[in-house]
Amino acid sequence: MSALTLRARQRLQLAGLLGPVTVFLGIFFLTPLVIMLIYSFLAPGLYGGVVWEFYPHNFGRILGFADPAFEYFDPVYFQIFLNSLRIALTTVVITLLVCYPAAFQIARLPERWKTFCLFLITLPFFASLIVRLFIWVLILKQTGFINQTLMSLGLISEPLDLIYTEGAILLGLVYIFIPFMFLPVYASVEKIDWTLVRASQDLGANGIQTFWRVILPLTLPGILGGSILVFIPSLGNFVVPAVLGGAKVLMLGNLIEQQFLAARNWPFGAALAMLVMAAVLVLLFLYVRFESKSGDDAPLLN
Amino acid sequence: MSWLRKLGDTSLTTYTVLFFAFIYLPIAIIVIYSFNSDPVNMMRWSGFTFDWYKQIFGFSNASSEAALYIESTEQLLAAIRNSLTVAAFTTTIATVIGTATALAIYRYNFFGKRFYRTLMFAPMLMPDIVLGIALLIFFVGVGMPLGIGSIIIGHCTFLISYVFIVVSARLAGMDRTLENASADLGANEWTTFRRVVLPQVMPGVIGGALLAFIISMDDLVITYFISGVGTQTLPLFIFGMLRRGIKPEVNAIAVMMLLFSFTVAALGLYFRSRRR
Amino acid sequence: MRESIIRLEGATKRFPLPEGGTITALDAIDLDVARNEFLTLLGPSGCGKTTLLHVISGFVQLDQGKILIDGDDMGTTPPHKRPVNTVFQNYALFPHMSVGDNVGYSLDIAHVGKAERVKRVGEALDLVGLGGYAARMPRQLSGGQQQRVALARAIIARPKLLLLDEPLSALDRNLRQAMQIELKNLQAELGISFIFVTHDQEEALTMSNRVAVLNGGVIQQIDTPRNTYNYPANAFVASFVGASNLFDGEVRRDGDKIVITTPENDTVEAVLRDERSLNGGGKLTAMLRPEQFSLSGTGGADNCAEIDVTVDQIVFIGSTYELLGKTAGGRQINALLSASHQTRIGEIEQSGKARLSYDPAAVHLIPADDAGAAQ
Repeated sequence: MSALTLRARQRLQLAGLLGPVTVFLGIFFLTPLVIMLIYSFLAPGLYGGVVWEFYPHNFGRILGFADPAFEYFDPVYFQIFLNSLRIALTTVVITLLVCYPAAFQIARLPERWKTFCLFLITLPFFASLIVRLFIWVLILKQTGFINQTLMSLGLISEPLDLIYTEGAILLGLVYIFIPFMFLPVYASVEKIDWTLVRASQDLGANGIQTFWRVILPLTLPGILGGSILVFIPSLGNFVVPAVLGGAKVLMLGNLIEQQFLAARNWPFGAALAMLVMAAVLVLLFLYVRFESKSGDDAPLLN
Repeated sequence: MSWLRKLGDTSLTTYTVLFFAFIYLPIAIIVIYSFNSDPVNMMRWSGFTFDWYKQIFGFSNASSEAALYIESTEQLLAAIRNSLTVAAFTTTIATVIGTATALAIYRYNFFGKRFYRTLMFAPMLMPDIVLGIALLIFFVGVGMPLGIGSIIIGHCTFLISYVFIVVSARLAGMDRTLENASADLGANEWTTFRRVVLPQVMPGVIGGALLAFIISMDDLVITYFISGVGTQTLPLFIFGMLRRGIKPEVNAIAVMMLLFSFTVAALGLYFRSRRR
Repeated sequence: MRESIIRLEGATKRFPLPEGGTITALDAIDLDVARNEFLTLLGPSGCGKTTLLHVISGFVQLDQGKILIDGDDMGTTPPHKRPVNTVFQNYALFPHMSVGDNVGYSLDIAHVGKAERVKRVGEALDLVGLGGYAARMPRQLSGGQQQRVALARAIIARPKLLLLDEPLSALDRNLRQAMQIELKNLQAELGISFIFVTHDQEEALTMSNRVAVLNGGVIQQIDTPRNTYNYPANAFVASFVGASNLFDGEVRRDGDKIVITTPENDTVEAVLRDERSLNGGGKLTAMLRPEQFSLSGTGGADNCAEIDVTVDQIVFIGSTYELLGKTAGGRQINALLSASHQTRIGEIEQSGKARLSYDPAAVHLIPADDAGAAQ
């Protein structure tokens, strides 16, 4: 067998292995994204559908140059964008604060307990998302578990407004995304070389100084990885606000859904989605830059 | 100093207990209240009953006739059937394509390898709403009818990535010299692949398939946009009920779903730990 | 009067075992290290030397006993308040900080101004031969360079005492030997007391003013390297520090000499210097270093004693031959023979028998009760 036919055969094998994914993702992933990008620059038709002309005002409606033919600029969309950013960031911060101490405690446990705790944390990830949100509806609603309990204890006479608030949305997001934050954070906590902590104390740093200068920087890759994994699905989330926010708190996800299923302004919806994607891409870009600079393995991509 | 450390230890332990309570207490509450007989207010305990479980399995009995809230058992069963069909097809397709891609990237060096790596991560990191509407625009644009078929395609776009990552992780942990050893012992390429590589990759493939199945069964957002009017999956069915108002039966359905996914996940994790 | 920089009195530490009970890591240790002294703690792994180090640096609290650093009772003083710095076994360099930030860490903690800090970091790096490396990251350095950074970081704050926890164990042989000399010079230059932990006896003998041999949580002997080697206090020290041939047995006087007869009926002659060592009921252990043997009839002192051995193996190791054999009683013998007797060695290899001679005056006698206990 000559070297040429060996190479040719290898090429054939490679083509056989890569062919399906290339075709599939090419048609059903990349093409739809390109079409969506194009859509975001098309004019909306009067009764749904699109008009094939260049129309930058979809983005203009959000960013401040609305189509003068139809409307004045209304900052409401930009506010929703900022609001979504704020909610997503708050979710990141809360999940981090919730997971960080627990990661340290679990990392100290004996091996068997450690495995068991990790199992317990991973398990909800496999449980249905909608069911986990449904649970909180039952707990938070007007006639829900908390209100029933508090009223039967005589602590309150009127039910509290727990559901359909921003707080309820945050609670739902945190509850769902805890495993996303915990696992990367835990991975970097477990990797900590504790002689470094001893070295820091040996060199005169007290507990707090050691935390800020050694422990926190050492766990930073895990924190950033977890933050990205929580931020991305939080930003464009529409299920949690739909279920726990009612109509009162609007996030980008709900706005996009409205454009597609109610208002039938697809180009505007596509523009909003592009905005979400742009925010995510900027974040990922920053993360990759940090990762290559620190030279550490990025837990996100492992 | 030592009492301070003890205090720190105790509070950290307490905190961790609370952490797990936050995750599992809500689940415990819903499990308990799924046996609550109150037909109007699900969260006001008025007695123990199996009625809601009987109803979702179609054995409605006399005592709960007044509370026949569930739209129809048929609808629920149809949703379950749809979900299982979608998950079965998606898992098969995604596992085959994802594994093939992982093998290609592991075994060969070729131009564009980096591109493929990035491509495989992209659908996972893409916010699902973006993928959902992009697919909706695409399907409507090319005139493809929305339904089971479009849902299967939609799920595959991101589940290929999940399978790819699980299988790649398995491949990365593999000892490449074993392949050389096999070749050295006289096995040809195909025999080496079948007898050495495949048995080692298999746990990764099974793990990836299991993951794909669970996620496909659970997906809501992408399905929501590309399911069309006539087709409902289980998560969509529950989402719909949540939006219209909750009936006690949902409680029982939710508990059954939790039980199902916990069992599958626990089995998967158990087998993975055994295989090591 | 020697000025004491660190003093341990009856230091005792027990650790609970997972299966219940406790293990005594330090058993009533008394130790006194003088200013500007280089003390080595030598012992096998698990002998308590790391625990002792942690007690001094403050990471482990004593169960009983006292620890004084420069006259101050350390009691429960936490590690960051002790005037002691450590060079860790795996260097423990902060991976997220540059070399300069690593070295300047303790100054930064102590709020030393930036200009002053940069200056002193430069000096410390110059001292360990790494001037101009401040901007590098630790992972860009070789093992030996990382070692030097760890050293610079530990000495920059001028601690009263520097602890070195097997710092050279990860380096290759040549680099290790070079670093041994450098460390010794650095210690002399800085005037800081060093406590150096190692399980490598050669390292201990090369570098220290005194060597403390530790086993089972107890200091077996603390003395100068020469005395430790030539006059080990017990059989453990004799066998752990250098190779040795030990003969334990009954003592019989024979004029100005004494004869030790082992239970297997081998005999060794020696000169009794100290009548008191006979107090142990007429039992002693005689120690002969391998290099104290020579082949009979190749010169040496007139009043040599001799011992016949059957040869198992002769190993050529360059400057010498190592002879491994057995006495008539079956006891293992290890002897180093000069390579200048090539032909004789050839004969021995042929016949499988050799007669070794040694100077009875050079035989070191170890009291028997210690020897029995430590073996």
